[in-house]
Amino acid sequence: MNKLIQNEMMKLIAKKRLIVIAIIIGVLVMLFTYAQYKQVQTQREKLGTSDWRTILQQQIVDTTNRLSSSRITDEWKKQLQISLQQQQYYLDHDINPSEPGAPTFMRIFLENSIDLFIPLMVMVIASDLVSSEHSLGSIKLLLTRPVKRWKVLLSKYLTLCLAISLIIAIAGILSYLISGLVFGYKGWGAPILTGFNVTETGLNTSEVKLMGQWKFLLMDFGLVWFVSIVVGTLSFMLSVLIRSTAAGMGVMLASLISGAILTNMVSSWESAKYFFMVNLRLTDYMKGTAPPIEGMNLSFSIQTLFVWWAVALFVSFFVFTRRDVY
Amino acid sequence: MEKKITLSVKNLKKVIGKKEIIKGLSFDLREGEVFGFLGPNGAGKTTTIRMLVGLIKPTSGTIQICGANIEDNFQEAMTNLGCIVENPELYPYLSGYNNLLHFARMLDRVGDDRIKEVTKLVGLTERIHDKVKTYSLGMRQRLGIAQALLGRPKVLILDEPTNGLDPAGIREMRQFIRFLAEEEGLSVLVSSHLLSEIQLLCDRVAIISKGSIIRTDTVHQLLANRERVIWHVQPLEKGKEVLGSLTGIDVTDDGAILTEYNEEKIPLWNKQLVEAGIAVTEMNRKMPVLEDLFLELTGGDTIE
Amino acid sequence: MNKNVIRSITGIAVLFCLLWLIGLGWAVGEYYAGTPEKIPKAKTVSQVENKKGLTIVALGDSLTRGTGDETGKGYVGVLIDEIKGKTKRPVQLTNLGINGQRSNSLRKQVQETEVGRQIQRADMVLVTIGGNDLFRGGQALMDFKTGDIATIEKKYLNNLKFIFEQIRKNNPKANVFFIGLYNPFIDLDQGREMSKVVRHWNYDSAEVSASFPKIVFVPTFDLFELKVNDYLYSDKFHPNSKGYRLIAERVASLLTW
Ligand SMILES: Nc1ncnc2c1ncn2[C@@H]1O[C@H](COP(=O)(O)OP(=O)(O)OP(=O)(O)O)[C@@H](O)[C@H]1O
Ligand SMILES: [Mg+2]
Repeated sequence: MNKLIQNEMMKLIAKKRLIVIAIIIGVLVMLFTYAQYKQVQTQREKLGTSDWRTILQQQIVDTTNRLSSSRITDEWKKQLQISLQQQQYYLDHDINPSEPGAPTFMRIFLENSIDLFIPLMVMVIASDLVSSEHSLGSIKLLLTRPVKRWKVLLSKYLTLCLAISLIIAIAGILSYLISGLVFGYKGWGAPILTGFNVTETGLNTSEVKLMGQWKFLLMDFGLVWFVSIVVGTLSFMLSVLIRSTAAGMGVMLASLISGAILTNMVSSWESAKYFFMVNLRLTDYMKGTAPPIEGMNLSFSIQTLFVWWAVALFVSFFVFTRRDVY
Repeated sequence: MEKKITLSVKNLKKVIGKKEIIKGLSFDLREGEVFGFLGPNGAGKTTTIRMLVGLIKPTSGTIQICGANIEDNFQEAMTNLGCIVENPELYPYLSGYNNLLHFARMLDRVGDDRIKEVTKLVGLTERIHDKVKTYSLGMRQRLGIAQALLGRPKVLILDEPTNGLDPAGIREMRQFIRFLAEEEGLSVLVSSHLLSEIQLLCDRVAIISKGSIIRTDTVHQLLANRERVIWHVQPLEKGKEVLGSLTGIDVTDDGAILTEYNEEKIPLWNKQLVEAGIAVTEMNRKMPVLEDLFLELTGGDTIE
Repeated sequence: MNKNVIRSITGIAVLFCLLWLIGLGWAVGEYYAGTPEKIPKAKTVSQVENKKGLTIVALGDSLTRGTGDETGKGYVGVLIDEIKGKTKRPVQLTNLGINGQRSNSLRKQVQETEVGRQIQRADMVLVTIGGNDLFRGGQALMDFKTGDIATIEKKYLNNLKFIFEQIRKNNPKANVFFIGLYNPFIDLDQGREMSKVVRHWNYDSAEVSASFPKIVFVPTFDLFELKVNDYLYSDKFHPNSKGYRLIAERVASLLTW
C-alpha cells in the first residue's frame, strides 16, 4: 500500500497541481489581506480611532439601527439580532472579537473559505484522480497489475486525503505568513469565545466558553479538514462514476455554488438541510451565527456530512471494483 | 513433446446489453509460441483481450493464466501476465523511467536492476529520463513493451502491437516478438487485422469473426495445399472443358482458370491442353496467402 | 523528480493529516463534552487611554442618527465638520444614536459599561431624546389627551434626570448639549395645541438640564417655528439637510474653546 501511495503521490506532484493550488491560495490571500487592511484603515479614518471597543460599540449601534429599518427581511433581522447579541456579549466581557494579527486573519480566512474556496481547491485534485486515468487510458495498465482493484482505489483515496491535508496546511501557512506582513504575527493566545447557542428565541449564552485563539484555530482547521474530506470524497465518487473530468467538476461546482446560494434562501424549506452543501459552514457553529435552517447544529451537520461521506465512499468502491473498463 | 499450456480459455462469453459480443471462445497458448488473433474490425478481438487481462468480467467461461483462474486468483494470474491493450497509454507527464518505476512498484520483487534491464532490452536507455510526452509513437510502443516485460511474465498479450509503426518499426517489432518467444520462452498473443503481419509473425492463428472462432490452426497447416495455378487459355470455353475433366477448377472474373498446384500433374495438364489445340497464353503459380482463406472463411464481411 | 522529495512530502502530509484530525476530534469533543465556564463580566471600565484629539459622543434618537438628511450627516455630522474646520486637533466622534429610541431605552444604554467608558473619555456629549416619547411617530396627534401626555412626560423627565446623572457620574467635566424639541406638526390643524405641549415639554427639560452643571439645553423650537415645511424631510417629521444645518449652527454657536 505504501508503494501504491508513493505512486499516486508521484503522479500528483508531477502534475504540479499542488503548486498551482498554492499559487491560487497565495494570490487570494494577498487580495484578502489588502482588502482587510483597507477596511481597517477606512474604519479608523471614519471613526478617528483604532480602539476596538469604540469600533465595536459603534458597530453595535449601527446594527441596532439597521434592525429598526422596516426594509429588512425577518430572516436577516434575526441574523443581525444574533450577531448583535454576540457583539454585545464580547463587549460586556471586554474581549476583542478580532484581535488584530495574522492568527485572526487566518481564522477569518478559514471561516470564509470553508464552504466554497477550499472545497474548490480540493475538487481540482479530487475530480480527476480517477477520471484522468480513464481519459489517458492508463487505467488499462493500472488495473492489469497483480494488485486488487480496491487497493488501487484505496491508494488513490488515501493520497487524496493526504493532498487535502496539504492544501489546508498550505492555506494556513500562506495566510499566516502573508497576512502577518501587514497585521503582525502575534495573537495566538488572544482569547476567543465559543459555545454560543442559536435557538428559536435568539442567542443563548449560557454555555459560552473562553479559549485561546490557537486552540480555536486548531478546531477550525479540523472542521475545514472534515468538510474538505467530504467534498473531496464526493468529487472522488463522481470521478469514478463519470469518466469525463470536466463533467464531474461541473456537477460538483454546480452543487457547491448552489449550496452557497441555498444557504441564503432555504430557511423555509426544511428538508433542504439534508443536502450536503448547506451543511458546509461548520465553523459558523463554533463562532455562533444563525444556521441556514432552524434546528441545524454542529452535530447535525457533522452527522449529515458523515452519511454523505460514507455513501460516496461506498459507491466509489462498489462501482470501481466491479465495473468493466473499456 | 507437448509444451506447457500457459494460457487457457474455455467457452468465454460476453454479453453487453442484449448483444452477445463474444460467443464462446476456447483456445490455449503454449510456452514459446506466438499466437495470432485474426479478425476483421469489430470481430471482438479487443473485447476478448480485455477479458483476458481482467479489465472486463466475462459473462461466462474461464480464463486460466499459468494455472491460476483470473477471477478467483487475480493476483497470481496477473503476476504472470504482461499486456498492452490497444495503445500503450502511459503517463505523459512522467519520465519513461518514472513510468516504469510506477508499474514496478505494483509488482513484487521488481527492482531498479530489472527496470534497467528492460530499458536496455527495448533500446530506450538514452531517452529513458525524458518525459513521455516528448516520445515518438514508436518509442512509446517500446516503452509499453518494456512495461509489459517488467514482471518477467510468462504470457504476453499485445493488442495490435504494430499500430502506427512504420515498415521498419513493424519489422523490428516482429523480430523482437519472435525473439521473446524463441529465446525467452514467452507465450505471446498478438491480435491484428493485418493478415500479412500475422502470417509472418505467428506460429498459430485463430480466425475470429462476429465473436466466434472460425478456425484455429498452425499457419503452416492453414496454408498447406492452398498454392494455386492460374491459367490463361485461348479459347476459354474449351479450356475449361478440358481442365475441368482433369481436376477441380475455379473461374475468376477476368477470365482465368484456377486449379490446385500439383508439381507432378501440371506438365501433364499442360500437355493435354496443347494437344486439344488450346493455346496456353500464360501460366502462373500463385503463392498462398491467409487473405484468401480469411475472406473465404469470414465470407468477406467486415463489420456487421 | 527525486524519490526523497516525494517521500518527505508524503511524510509532511501525514503529519498535517494527523494534526487536523486532532483538531476535528477536539472540536467535536468540545462540542459534546465541553463544560461552560463562568466568564466574568468586565465590571470596571478600563482606564482611559491617552488620547490626543477631541472626543465627541452623540447619544439619542433618529436626530442624532441624522434620519432625513440626504447627505446622511445629520446635525452631528455638520457640527463635526464645523469643529474640524476650527481646530487642528483630530476629532473623534462616537455616534451612539439609535433610530426611534425613547428615554427609557437611552436610560438603559447609558448604563452599559462600554457606553459609560465612551462618555468617560468624551470632551463633549450631544444628546437628543424625547421626540419619540412625545410624538410617538405622529400618534400623539390622534390621541391628544392632556392627561396621557402628563404621565408620559413625568416618566420622561424621570429618565432624563437619570441619564444626566449617569453622564455626570462618568464624566463630570465634559460639556453636555441637550437639544430641545421642535414641533413638526405646527402647520397642521392641531398644531397650536401641540405647540403648547412642546413648549411645556421643553421648559421642563430645560429645568432638568439646568439642575446639572455644564448641561446646556439647546432650544430648536424657534428654528422651525416659521417655515417648518422648508426644513422638514418628506416624512414631515424629521428635519432635512437644511433643518439639520440650523440645529448644528445653533449648537456650534454655543461651543467654547
Ligand atoms: N462497451 C460496448 N458496448 C457495446 N458494444 C460494444 C462495446 N465494446 C465493444 N462493443 C462491440 O463489440 C464488438 C467487438 O468490438 P472489439 O472492439 O472487440 O472489436 P475488434 O475486434 O477489436 O475490432 P478492431 O479490429 O476494429 O479493433 C463490436 O461490434 C463493438 O461494437
Ligand atoms: Mg480492437
